Amino acid sequence: MSGTAAASRKRLVSREPGVLARMVRHRADYLYVAPALGVMLLVIGYPIYDTIYLSFFNTPPSLALEDKTFVGVDNYIRILTSDAFLEVTVNTLIWTAFSTFFAFVLGLGAALALDKQFVGRGLLRGILLIPYVISAVAAAYIWRWLYHTDFGVIGAIAVAAGLTDRPINFLDNTETSLGSLIVVNVWKEFSFAMIMMLAGLQTVPEQLHRAAQVDGAGVFQRFWHITMPHLKGVTLVTVLLLLVSNLNSFTIPWIMTAGGPAGSTDIWITAIYQLAFERIRFGISSAYSVIVFIVMMSMGYFYVRALTRRDGARYG
Amino acid sequence: MPLFDDARFLMDRRQLLGTAAAAGFAGSLPGMARAAASPSGLDTSNWTPEYIGGIAGTLDVDTTAECAKVVPLSTKGHLTYWYVGPNQASPDIDHKIDAEFWVAFAKTYPNITVERQNLDYNQMLNKVRTAALGNAAPMVAKFPILWGVEFAAKGQLSQLKPEDVGYPVDEFWPGALKSVMWKGKSYGVPTNNETMGLIWNAALFQAAGLDPEKPPATWDDLVVYSKQIKDKTGKNGYGMVARTNAGNTPFRFMPQLWAYGGEAFDEAEANPTYKTVNLNNSGSKAALQASYDMYVRDRSVPMSALTNTQNENQDPFISGQLGMMISHPLEYSVMLDRTAKATGDDKKIAEGVVANMRYGLVPKGPARRAVVFGGSNVHIFDPKVVDGKLDMEAARAFVAFSTGPEWSTKLAWTNSNPGNLRGFRTKWMKERLATIKFLNVTTSMLPSGIPFPVIPETSEVMNIIVPDMLQNVLTKKMTVSAAADDAAKKAKVLLSGL
Repeated sequence: MSGTAAASRKRLVSREPGVLARMVRHRADYLYVAPALGVMLLVIGYPIYDTIYLSFFNTPPSLALEDKTFVGVDNYIRILTSDAFLEVTVNTLIWTAFSTFFAFVLGLGAALALDKQFVGRGLLRGILLIPYVISAVAAAYIWRWLYHTDFGVIGAIAVAAGLTDRPINFLDNTETSLGSLIVVNVWKEFSFAMIMMLAGLQTVPEQLHRAAQVDGAGVFQRFWHITMPHLKGVTLVTVLLLLVSNLNSFTIPWIMTAGGPAGSTDIWITAIYQLAFERIRFGISSAYSVIVFIVMMSMGYFYVRALTRRDGARYG
Repeated sequence: MPLFDDARFLMDRRQLLGTAAAAGFAGSLPGMARAAASPSGLDTSNWTPEYIGGIAGTLDVDTTAECAKVVPLSTKGHLTYWYVGPNQASPDIDHKIDAEFWVAFAKTYPNITVERQNLDYNQMLNKVRTAALGNAAPMVAKFPILWGVEFAAKGQLSQLKPEDVGYPVDEFWPGALKSVMWKGKSYGVPTNNETMGLIWNAALFQAAGLDPEKPPATWDDLVVYSKQIKDKTGKNGYGMVARTNAGNTPFRFMPQLWAYGGEAFDEAEANPTYKTVNLNNSGSKAALQASYDMYVRDRSVPMSALTNTQNENQDPFISGQLGMMISHPLEYSVMLDRTAKATGDDKKIAEGVVANMRYGLVPKGPARRAVVFGGSNVHIFDPKVVDGKLDMEAARAFVAFSTGPEWSTKLAWTNSNPGNLRGFRTKWMKERLATIKFLNVTTSMLPSGIPFPVIPETSEVMNIIVPDMLQNVLTKKMTVSAAADDAAKKAKVLLSGL
């Protein structure tokens, strides 16, 4: 009996078409994706290759690019052993962690509030979406003036309200500058988290809440044991997207402080930009980019893996 | 209005009077003997507002005849040209002159066609870099004074000196000529040059108990004046600018650093080699200390200086909230424009400020009076990086035409000065002096102009290392000495090619 079953399984397995056969069968599909794949190779693949290649060369501004000198992994060593890199990395981690955490928490809170039915819900949702749709450049300039140490509205209000004797120094102080920029970033990003979480909340079955309510579960218990488990997937996606977005931040810190004062708001991307386009160091800025690229790819790996697992769980 | 009645300036003038020309433009003194010997007919050692006013309108120019000696007027050719021309924010007169220039060139060289691109200042450098890397550069380009050396160092420019287009080197400021040199060879011709001046609000001076018509003579005085304005009026004294990655910062801090005897390298010397780093010499440290005193000790400058550019000084100044700032002659037009746009009480305040606006020389320091020597140069690209075939004759004709006394004066109408010194003697210069207020003052700073170091690393030093040094001090992240040493170390690493 068991021998017959094994033989039957073997026959079934042997009937599975090979990789080549499957590729031939799906040849039209490959043709359909070929243009997109070609464009990706051109605009993403080649720049990545060229960046990695350049990262092994010294390219001082006094030399033409074709006169670059091969330095092996020297650029990587110089970056990874420099105090400036450590300082920039710490700034980047603080920026990313705090921006992501507060944008998510505020977004979740707003989503929970907007998930209820109340008068003016649509209007409030529209208002809360404004930061997300405003251009980052415009937002950065507006906030720069709101924060302005001598003529900023926030400082003036603080003085008028008797909270401080003189305007608060938000952006021209190394101790407050990064925190001030994080506030702007959170303001800009929390709407995104709100939209995502609001979409997630629509999938939580209402009958579960009702059943739990009948069983005597309180608001917090229902949130923790019913809502949150259902939001797990969308939370993961939202947090990962926020992390990647914050690691890639450029506009707000660059426009508001250009990495200053005294490097206190310099993060990875602003440092790379400065190296490449202000200091004309394509070699070392390429090495810097590769390091950040590796971090991003790791993030991407976990992101894709998390999504795949979730899909696997759904369809498995 | 006696703009130049401070003791120090009078002393300089007396010395000059004793050794060179008399006040204004006298005809037979030793200064004029030198002037007569100079191809430009100018005595740049006697460069006072009176002298500049005296020589304007004394020379007739025949641009067509001058150009014909360089490249025959019948020459056939084609030219590609990139430049930063007038844009939507430019005054109408700039657009008018630009249009007239192209008409005049076409009339002078009817058989040379020009394909021109008027580019945005902030986009041009990267665009040209990319084009040169891709062998798609224009034949000729006009660059701000600092940019050319990078392309020369990379071998992307053709050698070009004033004599190649018919003008003796004496017709240009030595500082301007330095800016086109790379490793002893010349790669361009100056088109226009300018320097800034000190601007102050006489009413605020008076309110602070200062002589409203007497600007600070030295940087030490400026520190004192700034504090006095803050203490007596509550308004900020001096419009310090210390933002990183902003050209405004070195243009205002380097004159102070040079005045105290500091240098980035040895750019303030007559024959700089740019091989030694002086960012941590005693003069540089004294300049940093003066900035520290104003920002940290006295709090007499805007606390937003670390994120401010010069633009952020304009509103405070026109609203009477700022005592002094360093800027171009164009700033007066900007203030007039803001006054015109103001309404109600704001307009009254602005009108009061404009009426009390004064221009003077940038203060002296223990070592010298200094200001950044700014301007632009015109360059011809190397044939190997030019898009298509370089038409050298067309390029030379164009450079000769645009750098002569006529067009180097006209094209610099509102915000600069002729690169060709003979331009100062033309009727157009006379017209400019009559119509642009304070132009004579900033123009008289030209002999004190020091060009930024002419090396490819300059933009990094001036836009990053120097502002970082300043910010490290002003934020108390480092002591004056440590910040200067840190900056010097970075500059040395930079010079080593790493």
